[in-house]
Amino acid sequence: MDMQTVSKYEAMVKLDLPESERIWIAEKVSMLEDSFSKLSKVDTEGVEPLISVVTHDYSLREDIPVKLVSRDEILSNSPEQFDGYFLVPKTIE
Amino acid sequence: MDYEIVMGLEVHVELATKSKLFCSCSAEFGAEANENVCPACAGMPGMLPLLNKKAVELGIRAGLVTNCEITRTITFDKKNYFYPDLPTGYQITQLYAPICRNGHVEIETEAGKKRIRIKQIHIEEDAGKLVHDYLPGSSLVDFNRASVPLVEIVSQPDFRSAEEVVAYLEKLRSLLTFADVSDCRMQEGSMRCDVNISVRKAGSDKLGVRTEIKNLNSLKAIVRAIEYEAERHITALETGCEELVQETRRWDENKGETYSMRDKEDATDYRYFPNPEILPVHISDEWISEIRNSLPELAHEKYERLTQSLGLSDYDSRLITSSRNISDIFDRTMEYVNNPKEVANWIIGDLASITKEENKAYDEIVIDCEKFGKIIKMVESKVINRTIGKKVLQLVFRDDIDPESYVRDNKLGMISDSGYLENIVKEVLSENEKSVSEFKAGNQKVIGFFMGQIMRKTQGKADPASVNSILMRELNNLR
Amino acid sequence: MDREFFVSKHDAKAENAFALDDNIMVRGGLTTAGSKMLHNFISPLQATVVDRLLAAGMELAGKTKLDEFAVPGISEGTCDILSGAVGAVAEGVCKVALCNDVSGKVRRQAPQNGLYYIHPTYGSVSRFGLIPAVSSMDQIGIVCKNIDDGFDTLGMIAGHDENDITTFPEKSYAYAPKEGKFRIGIPSNVLEEADEKSKELIYDFAGKHDAEETELKYFEVFSQVMYILSSAEIGNNTSRYDGVKFGYRADKFTGLNNLYTKTRTEGFGPDMKLLSVVGAYVLSKDNYEACYLKSMKIRRLIREHANELFSRFDAIILPIKLKDPDPYKNLALYAFATLCGLPSVSVPLGRNEGIQLVAQAKNENSLFGICKGGR
Repeated sequence: MDMQTVSKYEAMVKLDLPESERIWIAEKVSMLEDSFSKLSKVDTEGVEPLISVVTHDYSLREDIPVKLVSRDEILSNSPEQFDGYFLVPKTIE
Repeated sequence: MDYEIVMGLEVHVELATKSKLFCSCSAEFGAEANENVCPACAGMPGMLPLLNKKAVELGIRAGLVTNCEITRTITFDKKNYFYPDLPTGYQITQLYAPICRNGHVEIETEAGKKRIRIKQIHIEEDAGKLVHDYLPGSSLVDFNRASVPLVEIVSQPDFRSAEEVVAYLEKLRSLLTFADVSDCRMQEGSMRCDVNISVRKAGSDKLGVRTEIKNLNSLKAIVRAIEYEAERHITALETGCEELVQETRRWDENKGETYSMRDKEDATDYRYFPNPEILPVHISDEWISEIRNSLPELAHEKYERLTQSLGLSDYDSRLITSSRNISDIFDRTMEYVNNPKEVANWIIGDLASITKEENKAYDEIVIDCEKFGKIIKMVESKVINRTIGKKVLQLVFRDDIDPESYVRDNKLGMISDSGYLENIVKEVLSENEKSVSEFKAGNQKVIGFFMGQIMRKTQGKADPASVNSILMRELNNLR
Repeated sequence: MDREFFVSKHDAKAENAFALDDNIMVRGGLTTAGSKMLHNFISPLQATVVDRLLAAGMELAGKTKLDEFAVPGISEGTCDILSGAVGAVAEGVCKVALCNDVSGKVRRQAPQNGLYYIHPTYGSVSRFGLIPAVSSMDQIGIVCKNIDDGFDTLGMIAGHDENDITTFPEKSYAYAPKEGKFRIGIPSNVLEEADEKSKELIYDFAGKHDAEETELKYFEVFSQVMYILSSAEIGNNTSRYDGVKFGYRADKFTGLNNLYTKTRTEGFGPDMKLLSVVGAYVLSKDNYEACYLKSMKIRRLIREHANELFSRFDAIILPIKLKDPDPYKNLALYAFATLCGLPSVSVPLGRNEGIQLVAQAKNENSLFGICKGGR
């Protein structure tokens, strides 16, 4: 995989790697790509994907509101807050 | 050259649940910022999604009232993108097995009846809210709406005019509010709409370049945006001044224009995949018929009842069933005054005009129906006259006063003492000799003037029927 | 001396104490999941397993170090760092330690340090309060010196939790060693890739039971399926770490996108970044079908193959390491239990050696029985 392709996927997951890390990742991804190509040898015609290994029936949650923790407890972990809100750099002009 | 506009709609409707879609936080509108937030809907790790049964039930109801097939095993998927209003970096939605498919609704426009096909309805979680104009340079994030349940109703590209779009949205609002699926309030954002639009030469079966318009917050905005965007497409096709591209555009209400969102949104790869945390939900025939049997009376059923059993006119019945709220006010007031015609008259005449004066929509009317009923009864039993009744209704509407004690305390009871009224009538006639001569010369219009004067002298409390007969008698005596 | 295994340490009597990897939450306490991203994260929740152990009268010895988000690291050297959970029990600081061994590191290291590792059936232990890595495979397991202590502890934590719908409806389980002779399958295609010592241990151990050679199908693509599914789920589960709501936020940034990228680039370690990129790759439109969907299908084939194997065997025996030390290739050894949600026990044998046994879902008692009778 070339550097440009790596940076395309980086951007998707909001990373911006320094050159040295990008080279390392490109090497690893190329190795993995080679390895992944082996999957095509397995015949999966007509096989349903397995999403979870458990299949039991379960009860859905009843629609009853419950307050689990206080707003202060939620906000106390935030890096920046104002008047009960989380704060981010302006998202629109 | 004639052009045809082709449109499809994606309508988001917030489900009327008490709690959120995957956690137990309250879903109520209007709380303080981040008050209805728990670790799960703040995006913190460690909690697992617990699907709200009521949300699934309301999703099924939405499908039943729009003639959809209900999917028997539904699953949920994750849609990945980064934005500050999305706490986990992914939205839980339904890509592969949406809850409803292949439905339709009938709409009616001046051109007649038409069927709009529904491709699918899926359940998903809402995002939080961003506030921009509070602090310079910053946006504020409130997760109260994050993970509130929505259904997205996706139509086929069956619309050919803005009029059809409006008729469809009004039809959906009626179906969904009467079925208790949602309150469908556009102004509160509980009903939102994206329009996919393309234009082609009339008669052509090849679709033109399609754009999607977002940020449409009212029916008025939708109509304006469609008109603007269709015009832009046609101009581009005619003059070649602009190349149309498939893209998402936002509606700017102030400028009256759509503009390209340009941020790579269209190129975004959402990297959908099945959510392994939410096991498939099986929807049984029993559950569906239980929901079908418990559906509240829908607008068209209610219309039947009002016209057939209660004997109301087509016009009155249409108006009452045009809004879930008005319709509820009618039913609840009927519990106190068992006189459908009278209740309908009060709603259509007096309550509607007060609503207009207060600049409110029918859906926003809040009134204590017991008090409303008391006013109607007081007028019926001649305790007060109708004019006073309307004034009292206005006060109940505005300040929620108690009508009976208000009438008593302000001595608003109807005056029907004929001796007293006769004196007033004579007084008015002697004070207005000029008008009396006009009457003698054959001008009937002055009767209204005399009535007004008499009512003024009695602070509006006189019994209009008695006044009228005394007045006519006195006038005839003068001839 | 024991402190190098701990992020935080409490006073507790070792014979009654449990340690937790630092991705399991204790309310009001720091929970870092071994990541700079969560260096200051105070947990507003308490894991169900913690509630249950405290209710059973056990004491918390402390939080142990782990690889960042317990991910399957394939970067050079990560495999050699000793797991805090293994270290803490080996040192005798606590009786048992709880961790989420997606990568298989603990399944390899526990026997190498004279310890057992019990990896329970997916769905038997609640994941509420566990910082997620690979949701479809995450499973809290138990490091112990004594297998009875391990199953005692499992008895305390296993059972339905209404906060985790993937837990089975059973309220609790009775863990007791099954008796009798056991049929053990030796997958010869796997053994071909093991070193001589491991083979010897396996034949010795299995020889005490009804042993029979068999084949573990799809073994040649276990690592691929494991890495593809893990990367996608980990990438997704860690996209919440963006410097907005909690945890690490980069110091200086210009605008929203820069806040995201700087925070995430500085906050994640190399293996997390690699997994995130690969996760995006395997889920992207271009590769979804050939990578992610294909892996989910092969996962079903493996699960069906497991059913077939366990119609003939009580357990499949596997080495804990391959001849080739490449961590990516070695993932295959732990993938069988993890991909299929099967219980496994890593058993210490000899000096710093061991084997793993894998059984059918909910068949922990066969594994318990083999451990008790096979030594």
